[in-house]
Amino acid sequence: MTGKASLLLILGFSLIFLVFGHNFASLTTRGVDNMVDYYDETVAHDIAVSAANMAANEFFLDNNWNAGFPTTSYNGGTFKVNFSIVDAFRKVYRITSVGNFNNITSNVEITLKPSSFSKFAYFSMSEGGNIWWTGNDTVWGPFHTQDHIRAFQHPTFMGKASSFKSLIYKNNEKSDKPNFNGGYASGVNLPLPTDGVSNLEAAAASGGFVFNKADYTKAKTVYLTFAGDSIKYKFSSTGKETTVLGKTLAPNGVIFAPDVTLRIKGTVKGQYSIGASGNMANQGSVILDDDIVYNSDPRTNPNSKDMLGIVAENDVVIADNAANNSSISIFASIYCENGGFTAENYSSRPVSGDINLYGGIIHKTRGAVGTFDSKTGKTLSGFAKKYRYDDRFLLTSPPSFPGTGMFEIVSWYE
Amino acid sequence: MGFNVLLDIIGSVIIGGMLLLILFRLSDSATENAFNYTGELTSQQNLATVVQILEQDFRKIGYCANWEKIPDPSKSILEADSNKIKFISDLLPEGSPDGNIDTVTYYLGPTSELASTPNPRDRLLYRVINSKSDGGVNLGVTEFKLIYFDALGDTLPFPIINPGAVTSMEINIAVENTSGYDNKYSSVFWRQIRLAARNLKNR
Repeated sequence: MTGKASLLLILGFSLIFLVFGHNFASLTTRGVDNMVDYYDETVAHDIAVSAANMAANEFFLDNNWNAGFPTTSYNGGTFKVNFSIVDAFRKVYRITSVGNFNNITSNVEITLKPSSFSKFAYFSMSEGGNIWWTGNDTVWGPFHTQDHIRAFQHPTFMGKASSFKSLIYKNNEKSDKPNFNGGYASGVNLPLPTDGVSNLEAAAASGGFVFNKADYTKAKTVYLTFAGDSIKYKFSSTGKETTVLGKTLAPNGVIFAPDVTLRIKGTVKGQYSIGASGNMANQGSVILDDDIVYNSDPRTNPNSKDMLGIVAENDVVIADNAANNSSISIFASIYCENGGFTAENYSSRPVSGDINLYGGIIHKTRGAVGTFDSKTGKTLSGFAKKYRYDDRFLLTSPPSFPGTGMFEIVSWYE
Repeated sequence: MGFNVLLDIIGSVIIGGMLLLILFRLSDSATENAFNYTGELTSQQNLATVVQILEQDFRKIGYCANWEKIPDPSKSILEADSNKIKFISDLLPEGSPDGNIDTVTYYLGPTSELASTPNPRDRLLYRVINSKSDGGVNLGVTEFKLIYFDALGDTLPFPIINPGAVTSMEINIAVENTSGYDNKYSSVFWRQIRLAARNLKNR
């Protein structure tokens, strides 16, 4: 009797232990399964991201690459990449990557478009030796230099900043570290092209307007004035001015003056790029004789379509004249392939007010526009800088404005 | 009834009582373990759910199906605090974004909102899209802590005046079960050491 009772007791307890043990094991297994599911999703996602990065790299190395990747084994799973055209005219492309791991799929979509130099608020190949960005300086849009960024007392970069060479502090990081409000990347190699100006000339010859060298006077200067819908030009300061409707003169908005100095001013209505080339002295530069502004100011009218690109093979120079001695307003993205943006006689001209630049500066070498007292910051000669970035250049650019020859990622979906 | 019989009865009562005590203890221990194991599983599942939603959303900071609607994605984070973040993205409709910008806010509610639960630390983690709350589902979140880093990888001190400086972030989430056996709560923790939303700095 006692033996049977003991046996039943043991069997009863064993059964209870078995049930509890099974339940606990089941809970533990489900807990592990839960984390395994998360792990599988993470790996599938990582595979998709890796494949998207590999495809983007292929495309960056060869802009004609459009093959995608077939289903490929990778990291215990598979990926497949497709390449598609979103907008053939604007050359907007899409890379779609699908990663698969343990029957879990993850998608990544990258959208790319050609990158134009006009997107930069500031670009330089050389920072002119030893010029420092100081705490008084704020760059309001994308920034790049192939040189070092030399920082003193926390300059501020509101857009994405990048440099090919390193970041240098005047004293130390604590006292000089820049405020990179749009991120920063070093080691980014993005040189100015050597064919930006010639490409603009080709665009002008194909649907735009190229000045005929035979019309030049001995001074080899073209005077161009934007006057709303019209454009006026002449070949000497006292010469007869020709007035033409802008859209008639250059239907595609590109106007080019080869082997000459181009002097400009006026009020721009519409979208234009103007350029000058030349390797002789005083050729290939654009001189700003007076304000050059938009007919409709984008700062007060966000729907303004007015846009200007100034493209010079050499310098873009603010003339030392009466009109410019009490500030100058420049609405444009300025591109100097072999020179810089500067002011004529910057160290000897009178204090000339402000440069109210609304656009961007892309130049080979940083130029000077004035001198100032390093202790008080007071302008001693030339101009004080008031530069603001035209945000519209983040999405669009003046017609045929020099491109970087590269593509940029504009959207990453994952 | 002899002395031996009395002794047998007393002995049986003592042994039976001990067996009963062991059984009670076993039952109690089994219940506690079952509660804790189940609580851990639930917490883990809740954590995985929270993290998956959160990762999906945070990776889309600055994303819009119509990319031209966000010309400067670096300005996509509108507010950055230690347990609150507000950013723009394109999340609606869920799974197939429509190209319209949505404003997304994540923030942790106060513990007083969940005073009805036995766990004194659990809170509601709010996910608000375009001012419309998805409603409160208590998943036992007890910690939602964000740390932000600038372009050079340095920690940004609070308060963050300029959220545009945020380049990457660390996300910490702790989840506990909402009720615990004997006030002992299972806790699970997840940390994303560096989450860099790709759209933030892609242009």
